[in-house]
Amino acid sequence: MVNDSGQLYTMEGIAAGLVMLLTAYLILSTTSIYTPGDTHIPDMQLEQLGSDVLAMMDTPDSDGGENHLVDLINRSDRDGFNSTFLEYCNARTNGKPDTIHMSANVAYRDGDRIEEHQLVKPDETWTGRESAVRVTRWVQLDQQSTRGDPYGSRAQAVLVEVLLWRA
Amino acid sequence: MACMNEDGQWIVLMGLLVAVGLFFLALIINQSALVGQTTAEGVLEFPKNDIRDLREAIFDYVDKYGNTGDPAANNVRDDIIAISLDRKNAVVDFTVKEPVDISGQRAYPVEIHYNNGVTVYDETVYHY
Repeated sequence: MVNDSGQLYTMEGIAAGLVMLLTAYLILSTTSIYTPGDTHIPDMQLEQLGSDVLAMMDTPDSDGGENHLVDLINRSDRDGFNSTFLEYCNARTNGKPDTIHMSANVAYRDGDRIEEHQLVKPDETWTGRESAVRVTRWVQLDQQSTRGDPYGSRAQAVLVEVLLWRA
Repeated sequence: MACMNEDGQWIVLMGLLVAVGLFFLALIINQSALVGQTTAEGVLEFPKNDIRDLREAIFDYVDKYGNTGDPAANNVRDDIIAISLDRKNAVVDFTVKEPVDISGQRAYPVEIHYNNGVTVYDETVYHY
């Protein structure tokens, strides 16, 4: 017959083994703190840059002065919008300018329909590593009888949408 | 069990306590991954620029029309609501109430509601 003294030690050993196994499992199943934001961080930076540029264009030079963005939309000035936006976007403190490209649409309401007016056509460049991002800004247009198509002359709010990417 | 040596019970007991302590520490580390993920997602998905821009558009509206509700004002209000839904996937509503007196300034109470399916944002602001 086997010697059955020391049963309590065996049971303790089994309990301790289980606790250790469970702890090891918990630790191994814990990866490092996972941040899904990694890939989106450059996108967010580009988005913030675009938003800030639109905010700059939407700010009059002086109190009660003329708002550049509203003026560009009112006149549907493609070249003006394109050059102003890209100038602000691509400005750097030194060295060559950045290589950001863009296209712009204006969404406006016509009766029950939401229409889009293409303000700046995209140029024929490809995006690089970073994906393109969309930034928007609300613009309020006053009643203006001389304003041409497509918005019509009534006072309205339109949404400027800019797609920008770094080539 | 008669001849079993039962010395050192305290040492064994302390060993068990340490093991249980380690177990709970491991549990805390395990949960921290979840905390990191949900926080990061919350920050990424919060449409900060959209809400700021919407507020500014509504304040422009209030500056221009106050709480008049005439057809021109309603047109602009409809623009904001309809374009938000169509282009920004956000259900937006806002109401401008009778101006009230705050520290000698006439301020319009503006209620702003924004819901894009992930983020719900409601605000009552006194704008003057």
